Amino acid sequence: MAKIKKKGQSGSAKNYITRTQAVKKLQLSLPDFRKLCIWKGIYPREPRSKKKVSKSATASTTFYYTKDIQYLLHEPLLQKFRDQKVLEKKISRALGRGDVSDAARFERNAARPEKTGKPRYTLNHIIRERYPTFIDALRDLDDCLSMLFLFASLPSTSAVPAKMIARCERLCQEFQHYLIVSHSLRKSFLSIKGIYYQANIQGEDILWLVPYKFNQRIMGDIDFRIMGTFVEFYMTLLSFVNYRLYTSIGLKYPPKFDQLKDEQGAELAAFSLEGVNIATDSGETKAITNGESEHGPDPKVQAEVNKLVKQLKDESSNGGTPMETDAEGGEETATDAIDKFEAAAPGGDVLPQPEESNSDPGQLFSNFTIFLSRETPRQPLEFILRAFGCKRIGWDAVLGEGSVTTDKTDPSITHQIVDRPVVRAAMAANGDGEDNQTAQKLALNQRYPGRIYVQPQWVWDSINDLELKSPELYAPGAALPPHLSPFVKSAPGAYDPTLPLDAQETEAEALDAQLADSNGEEGSDEDVENDMDVDSDDEDEDEENEDDFGGFSEGEGEEDEDEEEETTLQRQRELEAELSGKLIKSKPVDAKMKAKLEAKKALDKKAREEAEDLERAKGMLSKKKRKLFEQMQYTNNKKSAEDVKLRSKRRKLEKEKEKAKANGKA
Amino acid sequence: MGSKLVERKRKSRVVSPESEDEFDGGDFDGILSQSEDEFDVGSDEEHDEDEESESGGSRSGDDDGDSEILSDDIPSDIDGDDAIGKILEEQPELEIEEPGVDPKRKEEDNAGKNCRIEKDANGNERYVYDEIDPVYDSDDSDAQGPVNTIGNIPLSFYDSYPHIGYDINGKKIMRPATGDALQSLLDSIEVPKGWTGITDINTGNPLNLSQEELELVRRVQQGLLTDELQDPYPETVEYFTSIEEKMPLSAAPEPKRRFLPSKNEAKQIMKLVRAIREGRILPYKPPDEREREQEEEEEVHFDLWQNEEAAAPNPMHIPAPKLPPPGYDLSYNPPEEYLPTKEEREEWEKLDPEEREKDYLPQKYGALRKVPAWDTLVKERFERSMDLYLAPRVRKNRLNIDPNSLLAKLPSPSELKPFPTVAQTIFRGHEGRVRSVAIDPTGLVVASGGDDGAVRVWELLTGRQIWSVKLSSDEAVNAVRWRPTKDTFILAAAAGDDIFLMVPTHPSVALALEQASRDILAAGFGYATNGQQQTAPGKEPPAKWARPGAKLEDEGVLIRVTVRTTVKVISWHRRGDHFATVSPSGQRSSVAIHTLSKHLTQIPFRKLSGLAQTAAFHPSRPLFFVATQRTIRCYDLQKLELVKVVQPGAKWISCFDIHPGGDNLIVGSYDKRLLWHDLDLSNRPYKTMRFHSEAIRAVRYHKGGLPLFADTSDDGTIQIFHGKVPNDQLEHPTIVPVKILKGHRVVSKLGVLDMDWHPREPWCVSAGADGTIRLWM
Repeated sequence: MAKIKKKGQSGSAKNYITRTQAVKKLQLSLPDFRKLCIWKGIYPREPRSKKKVSKSATASTTFYYTKDIQYLLHEPLLQKFRDQKVLEKKISRALGRGDVSDAARFERNAARPEKTGKPRYTLNHIIRERYPTFIDALRDLDDCLSMLFLFASLPSTSAVPAKMIARCERLCQEFQHYLIVSHSLRKSFLSIKGIYYQANIQGEDILWLVPYKFNQRIMGDIDFRIMGTFVEFYMTLLSFVNYRLYTSIGLKYPPKFDQLKDEQGAELAAFSLEGVNIATDSGETKAITNGESEHGPDPKVQAEVNKLVKQLKDESSNGGTPMETDAEGGEETATDAIDKFEAAAPGGDVLPQPEESNSDPGQLFSNFTIFLSRETPRQPLEFILRAFGCKRIGWDAVLGEGSVTTDKTDPSITHQIVDRPVVRAAMAANGDGEDNQTAQKLALNQRYPGRIYVQPQWVWDSINDLELKSPELYAPGAALPPHLSPFVKSAPGAYDPTLPLDAQETEAEALDAQLADSNGEEGSDEDVENDMDVDSDDEDEDEENEDDFGGFSEGEGEEDEDEEEETTLQRQRELEAELSGKLIKSKPVDAKMKAKLEAKKALDKKAREEAEDLERAKGMLSKKKRKLFEQMQYTNNKKSAEDVKLRSKRRKLEKEKEKAKANGKA
Repeated sequence: MGSKLVERKRKSRVVSPESEDEFDGGDFDGILSQSEDEFDVGSDEEHDEDEESESGGSRSGDDDGDSEILSDDIPSDIDGDDAIGKILEEQPELEIEEPGVDPKRKEEDNAGKNCRIEKDANGNERYVYDEIDPVYDSDDSDAQGPVNTIGNIPLSFYDSYPHIGYDINGKKIMRPATGDALQSLLDSIEVPKGWTGITDINTGNPLNLSQEELELVRRVQQGLLTDELQDPYPETVEYFTSIEEKMPLSAAPEPKRRFLPSKNEAKQIMKLVRAIREGRILPYKPPDEREREQEEEEEVHFDLWQNEEAAAPNPMHIPAPKLPPPGYDLSYNPPEEYLPTKEEREEWEKLDPEEREKDYLPQKYGALRKVPAWDTLVKERFERSMDLYLAPRVRKNRLNIDPNSLLAKLPSPSELKPFPTVAQTIFRGHEGRVRSVAIDPTGLVVASGGDDGAVRVWELLTGRQIWSVKLSSDEAVNAVRWRPTKDTFILAAAAGDDIFLMVPTHPSVALALEQASRDILAAGFGYATNGQQQTAPGKEPPAKWARPGAKLEDEGVLIRVTVRTTVKVISWHRRGDHFATVSPSGQRSSVAIHTLSKHLTQIPFRKLSGLAQTAAFHPSRPLFFVATQRTIRCYDLQKLELVKVVQPGAKWISCFDIHPGGDNLIVGSYDKRLLWHDLDLSNRPYKTMRFHSEAIRAVRYHKGGLPLFADTSDDGTIQIFHGKVPNDQLEHPTIVPVKILKGHRVVSKLGVLDMDWHPREPWCVSAGADGTIRLWM
């Protein structure tokens, strides 16, 4: 006889553990357990059957894998948590005794770990554990960056100490510096929530959200202890990632940070990057505004000087320069680029190769000197422009330190980014500078010749498409073209706002639209209603079809009957007309219209037939499969309904626009 | 007492020069003199007090303080040894007086009497004894004079009496005289000094405080010492340093160590120096600066992934899903069509924040400067972090396939044709329900049997009745079945517990055919007479084969087989020599197999699990299928063993049919299910079809090579299916529902009771409870 199995001794009951049990097993307090889970990346699991798993009568909600908890049991941090608890107990006991100096001593000792063995911890080993390779860390950087950028813009409170904010800010700026130097920023998107950035580092796409520079409102009940635990982990992670990234491009980490400049609002410019290898980088610190050095002397002279310096250095370093150049010449053919494989003999399969993009993201704005007006958001613009190769960026002095020029009359400026409405030109024409106000307005609206004035969106649209957009579309005061998300990948059948409407609407929709056009020009609202009617009809049919599995001859019969009825009616009308001696009222439908109507009818019929077929086919599926099928169909229908709605909205808008245009012409 | 002592000391100090003669060497030793003096004074004070308590025994308690002060004064008045001496001298005298007896009594004592003699009212002598003054032999100073003994009750109880209580001897304490009303009024207006408003419970007099007492109260209130004269902080008198010594006490020379620097100090300093050098002691810095430095020290920068090695991915680890990238509608300047209409906006706002599909509404801002901060960004981030650590992660396989690929590839409707669609002919003539219907193997006529007990034969295409016979007046004809060979024209019909075999006379039937049929039926009689004896004598034979009688024989009914219970189902073997009957109510003998050529009836099953519902022969192999309520059992007739048990899963099987190919089976059940079994595949159904709203009565495959089958139901419909069984073993059968034939009325919850396919054409006939038979083509 088989041994009787006891309940809760094997199987999934042993594989899962509730949170309370886990906390008990680890001998921790719940907040400490939470911290540990966040850092170690342990998350609850959903057992297949909660009933089998839970050992208690009451339903537990959170289950962890027993193995996960077992794994936590070996965590060195656990001991630190306990030590911390002991220290806290000591301090509170001392305070309870009224022995303040003793408590202070305990606390002081805790701050000097190496002498007192205090419980201070680092998360280094955890990061190594969670991300065994650097790529793993990059893959998980989305949340990290979003969180740190958000914390960098939070007001400091007791829950969020100013030190934490400052460190977040610094880490973020260091990261931005890497992106600027390596030109690995790819896309950016101005959303209503903030600015999304996407960078590509070592082949990993990283997407994060940076809030607009406003004071963040903290609404609702937010537990900053949890957020703080995350931030602590993320800060450690990002500092290690930054180190690796900096060293990977030959920069020293941490970069030199100028406290004074930072206090003056230089932000990115407060850092100066240093090359780690003196021989390659000639030891000079590479300040963020590379253009600054070019600003003073003539660039040509500078170039010559550079050349000379280089020659001198080469000679001083070694005499074997000619050999090196030879070697370089020999290796000229060996490039990083992918070679084109061409079929030597016919009959082989064609393997697709990635195409080399011809435009380098580091060169997009490289020739420009761009001036930011004081109403534009400086931080994102500066970051993006620099990341896309712009060396010389100036801004108004109120935007902070670090600009190339604060003088907006500087003749070297090629582009100015403005975000203010245009003052009407008529006023300026009238007043000859006598009126103070008009003079001011003139000054505000003044255009310096030889510059291109654009709105900020120009920068974003340009970098997303990696081509300079035509500045006329983005002129100050102009109605901007819609700003589209660069992250959306168009799926077949989904609505795509960049394509013209004709290219993507279905046949039925087009026909409907045309019919609606020709039918009632007075009521354009019919369009939508018509759509809805069609929808509801479909549903009705569906229901009918569900009732009986497949009388596919029925539908046809009805159709035929309808037609017959129509013809009989027509005939009767004719007869009546003959009798009464009147002229037959021919329908005011032209041939085209009729053709369309017929086409529509045919389409409807086809759709109905298809629906019938579908129903029959569905009837033969197993219950499980049918459910799955229906679910899939439901989501697909929902998606396509959304697309249809968008298309119809767009059609309406276009029609209105046309009408407005026609009216304007008339 | 202490304060008094101090007082005493000072006084004695003043006194001391006078008593110089007593202490000879008192010139330098003040302490001695003091201590002695103190002792003296203490002792004499004791005496004083004794004296006090004795002499002041009769005084009231409030005067206590006074008396003490007075007693203090005594020694100051009487100075020095003289006074002490005096007191010592006086003491014995006092002691004589001491016992506290009145002097009067003493006199009387002296006289030797302790009572007086008085005259009473009658003039008799009466001894009046003196009051005994109980002498409390104690120095209790609390014992005071006349004390009111009324206890803790208000004095107002005695308002109506002249006395205010009783003293310890039980004597009334008389209320002291009070002034008149005017006086008391004046008193209340003009508050005398020390007035408290309290009446002394002992005397009944108003209790006023004396000047000294008032002073005492004031001092207590102010927190001063109660004694005015006492100085809490007397100037110290230094005993030693006040006297300058002229000569050194020791003549030793100054030691050397006084001139050398301290080694210990040097040690201490060196310790500090070393600590500073080693960095254990840091020069002072403001705490925040120190903190910053420490932090910078703490930040260690190194390459964490220096020797990275990719770990094998943990299969149990599910990475957190990334947030979806923003779509077009999240843009600050989206295309217009993404902006919500008014209704959409209202609808969105009406919804609960948790129910909303998106947590934002698309919005258009004309310029970047107009974009405000996003209110809930912190909250969203927080929710994301909560999700990261608290949301259980489950790997869900998203089926990213075209839903249409799930659908089986179906033949197009045109390929499914032909199948019956319309009611071509309606056969009317039966009274009551038609229970069974069958088309003959040639496909020319159709036979039917019904509640009226008659078997009718109709011409198929025209619907003309060509032959009929009434088998029974009270029993319904439950089943009619043609013998399935074309060389005969024999019909079997079951009415009650009789089975009739008949040859309908019919003009279209060739005489030769009719004769052949009659021969076959007759052949058994000879055999039966020979073989009848096989059954054991005591046992009743399972069936009786007999001629039905002249009247019926004239009609063409040639054999009557009587079994034990009502037969519901007849099923012929393909060769036509055997047929099986099923009578569900017969327990043991419910299934019987009859052999036509021998007029023999056998009961194959001694015991059946469950009630037999129906039975059939396999179309090609020697197998026999019997359906009980839940299962269908397949027996091998040659090996006489159970081959297979098919479990359709239906609650109550009503009917089944075997595909002409022999490998597939359809089963109809009273619980509205139609089940297709692939016998090779499994003993569970391959497909379950539930298209009927009522019980299924009959199922039938088309036997003439068309891939059709049909079932009839009590909901009045016949459903036609296309059921193609592929030749390839690996492929599954294709089942397509094609047609619902409606036409029969439902009479008392019964719809279509039976149906049969035409042997070649895609036609079928159905027998309805409404008394009609319909031909569908």
